[in-house]
Amino acid sequence: MAIDFDATESRARTARRREVGEVSGLGSVLRRLDWLLLAALAGVAAYGLWAINGITLHDPGGSSLGRQVTYAAAGTCLFVAVLFVDPDRYRRLTRPIYFGTLAVMLFVLAAGAATRGSKRWVDVGFFTFQPSEFGKVLFVLAIAGFLSQRSRSIASARSVLEVVAYALIPIALVFVQPDIGTALVYSAALAAALFVGGIRWLHLGVLAAIAIVGALLVLWLLPAAGVNVLKPYQAQRLTGFTHPDNDPRGATYNLRQSITAVGAGGLRGRGVQGATQTRLDYLPEHATDFAFASLAEQHGFFGVSILLLLYLLVVWRGLKIVAGARDMFSAVVAGGISFMLLFQAFVNCAMAMGIAPITGIPLPFVSVGGSSMITNFLAMGILQSIHVRSVRRRG
Amino acid sequence: MASSGFPKRFLPPDPRVEEPYRLTPQIALRVAILGFLALTVFAVLFLRAWSLQILAGDKYLAAANDNRVRTLSIEAKRGPILDVNGKVLVQNTAGFRVELWPADLPKTWAAERAELRSLAHVVAGVSVSKILALMKAHGGDPLTPVVVQTGLHRDQVYYLREHAADFPGVRIANSWLRKYPYQALLAQVLGYVGPITAEEYKALKKQGYNANDSMGQAGIEKTYDSYLRGHDGSAQLTVNSLGQPRSQAKLSVAPQAGEALRLTIDINLQRAAERALVAGIQAAHAAGEGFADGAAVVALDPRDGAVRAMASYPTYKPSVWVGRTNAKKLAPLLNPEAAKEHNYPGLNRAIQVGYPPGSTFKPVTALAAMQEHLLNPYDLLPCTPDFKAYGQVFRNWTPLIDQGMDLETALEESCDTYFYALGKKFYELPPDRGHPLQAWANRFGLGEPTGIDLSPESDGLVPTPEWRREAFSKPPYTEIDRTWKPGYSIQLAIGQGDLLVTPLQMARVYAMIANGGKLVTPHLADDVELSGAPGKGPQRVLRRFGGQPPQPVGVDPSALSVVQQGLYKGAHDPDGTSYGAFGDFPVPIAGKTGTAEKVMQVKGYPNGLKLNQSWWCGYGPYDDPNLVVCVVIENGGEGGAAAAPAAQKVFSEWFHKTGTVIQHASD
Repeated sequence: MAIDFDATESRARTARRREVGEVSGLGSVLRRLDWLLLAALAGVAAYGLWAINGITLHDPGGSSLGRQVTYAAAGTCLFVAVLFVDPDRYRRLTRPIYFGTLAVMLFVLAAGAATRGSKRWVDVGFFTFQPSEFGKVLFVLAIAGFLSQRSRSIASARSVLEVVAYALIPIALVFVQPDIGTALVYSAALAAALFVGGIRWLHLGVLAAIAIVGALLVLWLLPAAGVNVLKPYQAQRLTGFTHPDNDPRGATYNLRQSITAVGAGGLRGRGVQGATQTRLDYLPEHATDFAFASLAEQHGFFGVSILLLLYLLVVWRGLKIVAGARDMFSAVVAGGISFMLLFQAFVNCAMAMGIAPITGIPLPFVSVGGSSMITNFLAMGILQSIHVRSVRRRG
Repeated sequence: MASSGFPKRFLPPDPRVEEPYRLTPQIALRVAILGFLALTVFAVLFLRAWSLQILAGDKYLAAANDNRVRTLSIEAKRGPILDVNGKVLVQNTAGFRVELWPADLPKTWAAERAELRSLAHVVAGVSVSKILALMKAHGGDPLTPVVVQTGLHRDQVYYLREHAADFPGVRIANSWLRKYPYQALLAQVLGYVGPITAEEYKALKKQGYNANDSMGQAGIEKTYDSYLRGHDGSAQLTVNSLGQPRSQAKLSVAPQAGEALRLTIDINLQRAAERALVAGIQAAHAAGEGFADGAAVVALDPRDGAVRAMASYPTYKPSVWVGRTNAKKLAPLLNPEAAKEHNYPGLNRAIQVGYPPGSTFKPVTALAAMQEHLLNPYDLLPCTPDFKAYGQVFRNWTPLIDQGMDLETALEESCDTYFYALGKKFYELPPDRGHPLQAWANRFGLGEPTGIDLSPESDGLVPTPEWRREAFSKPPYTEIDRTWKPGYSIQLAIGQGDLLVTPLQMARVYAMIANGGKLVTPHLADDVELSGAPGKGPQRVLRRFGGQPPQPVGVDPSALSVVQQGLYKGAHDPDGTSYGAFGDFPVPIAGKTGTAEKVMQVKGYPNGLKLNQSWWCGYGPYDDPNLVVCVVIENGGEGGAAAAPAAQKVFSEWFHKTGTVIQHASD
């Protein structure tokens, strides 16, 4: 066999590989990394760890820094591992990824039904594992896979409907856990995937209209007609931000305390000791859902600006990677991941400042939580691995 | 194999192979849109953070500080109340109170209710509904505590302190409780301390009162609250979101104890007076007056109006208002039904109830008649079993007298027909003379408040034709009711009819007679002071009260001296109506009995029963009076039988001398 290969062909093959972004070997990976994205990632992760140490310093269990460092280390390992995996492999595994994710989610629901309560976690001994967090990345991969399978007929309504139907099943499973926040993240990722995947503007418009009507129905029309899709506390949390002073000790207590914490931070912050909203526990869930408010209280507008600029940097690099993607699948994955990060950061920060509904969405790279931290590193790894294999045009 | 040597890019596109992906302008546009969206989103976040942290940062910083800093009020020790000799009548003991801090209660309604339920379970005498009512009344400021209960039992304090973690928002604070060493003595005069009411808070807010303050709610405690209350201190405490303290309370303003208030009351005389009322009622019962059940006495200094004793029977122990109150014990003071059942123990009859004065009013008639030149005191007027005028018959109290009398004797023996004749003269005065009898009664302080430093005070009533027209102006009253008839003037002359006076008003009239014609302003407070050792004089007087100087009423001294003579003879001549009680008394006393008919509502008589109100008013020593005493025994029968012996006991204590009560048919 080898005799038939001459040097010319070998060279041509290598050239082709390079053109379509096939990469193997540590050296080429390192050479092709997006170092700016890597720096932004390192910055946001380090900043998040530093911030969470201050945020959780006075909590009953002590600082969560140790745990978070462990998760970040695990995430970094995963990050490095996925650099060496060609994203095309995920495309070929679309169906196993999709159905595997569904199976785990169903298992979570069944276990939750058995204990008659909200259950989002699976206890795997050393670590309580939250499938819906990891599901975020798997969901993006699966949707990208389904879209790229239909790349030739992407303009047809049928293809769009099929992809949306596939997507709605995991979204519904997360929604009934109940975890509205994560369901919204999935929906945002779906929207970004369809958008970057190139479906027609008309279809996008129709889908957006349906989403808006659906939200109105769930939050307003159906309750008015006596049908409650959401539990009252959920609806109150979602709409409470429009009138935070309405019920200072009830549903919007958290929100009021959160806004107070952010505002009290001022320009330079009150420091870890002086941040009484956090230290004396007025700010509930400050290690997770309201981590942003706590950070804002301790480190002020300066601290907030640093965090937001780091996020902006990550998102900008992510969008650049979309533009340079080797194929449609990669582009959609990169778009979904970037937009998902943007969405989570925005909703969490905006919620803490009273301009978005209260939903349990963690602040990427800051909130305490292993699943979220590891998933974010995984997502960044995939983003980098796409960049590594991106198309190089001659400058 | 040969073809494999050619690079694939030179071949035509294979339909089975996917077209290599290229960034189309369309996708590039969409990525640009996403980039723009990201910029917008971050711009929104930056602007919002800017507005919260930079523009409104101070406001939220203040809110965050309010969250964590609790300003605790440290109750000032209320000033003690002393008697004229410095004996402590009201003092304080340390106690505990339970406060609820609304800001620190559980954030959910259900958890809050659960906590209130367990609190009600621990703290005796408190229910969830009562706490909720208190919280509602308190107005909803989350940083002002609601006082749930004062006078907490030690066991409850220990329990709440041990289980503090289960009771977020509940604080045990130190407080002061009123203590009454003399128990029921002087109860209605002292009044009591209770939580400030919503209306009071509204009115007194500007003077620094707080929504959960206590304040004097009646009597002396109310009148002199501003001196007694002192100034509460404050301390700052840092708490976490569960209301659990995270620091020691730091004193910011030290509490300043209230000032001591010295009264003109002599507690020994007061004790004697209260016992005298009981004795007077017993005497009335012994004389067959079974309905005798209420009484009042006033003893004051005729020179300046200082009240030495003031008592009302039935009475109660002011300690029922303190700390853990008992609804059953408070009912006679709060609930109209129960109050009636117990004959109104909370009522200060000495100033709040008007009685017909009966014959004790005769000196007023005599002085008015002399001043109006209707009477020469040395002329003899007939004293007969009855007096006929305008087709009516007015009876004397005794049918056994039929002789001519001068004024002194008429007063001594309390001859009714003598005064009926004066009443008729007043009635027959031409209209341009007005109503001089009523006018003089007013000048002697009747029909108006005395101005004593207690409230509320009854005005009493001096009836005039104008009053009658006004009072009976509406149906079902007719013109006949509105008309002033001669009988009204004739009855008024002996203190009957519609005339009503309080015992204190009457004591003031007799003080005027005793001091030579000057009207005193009765008063209870002597001074506020930094008190010295118990039983000693003041360490430093901060403010002296005393009454206003006595005001001359413009009576002729010679007219007054005739009246004084008559009152003296009433107590010292064997025919005198007060002789039975004072004839044998070692100190010369002058006085007048009164037996006033009044229709009373008593058990078993739904339409009322005409009963005699037993009066005695007088003063001593006769030549240099320093004490006026006025006693009323409700339904006590004749003045000489019930009221006079009671008054004698008061004088006995005052002069530390006792006389023998001579049984004597009188009045």
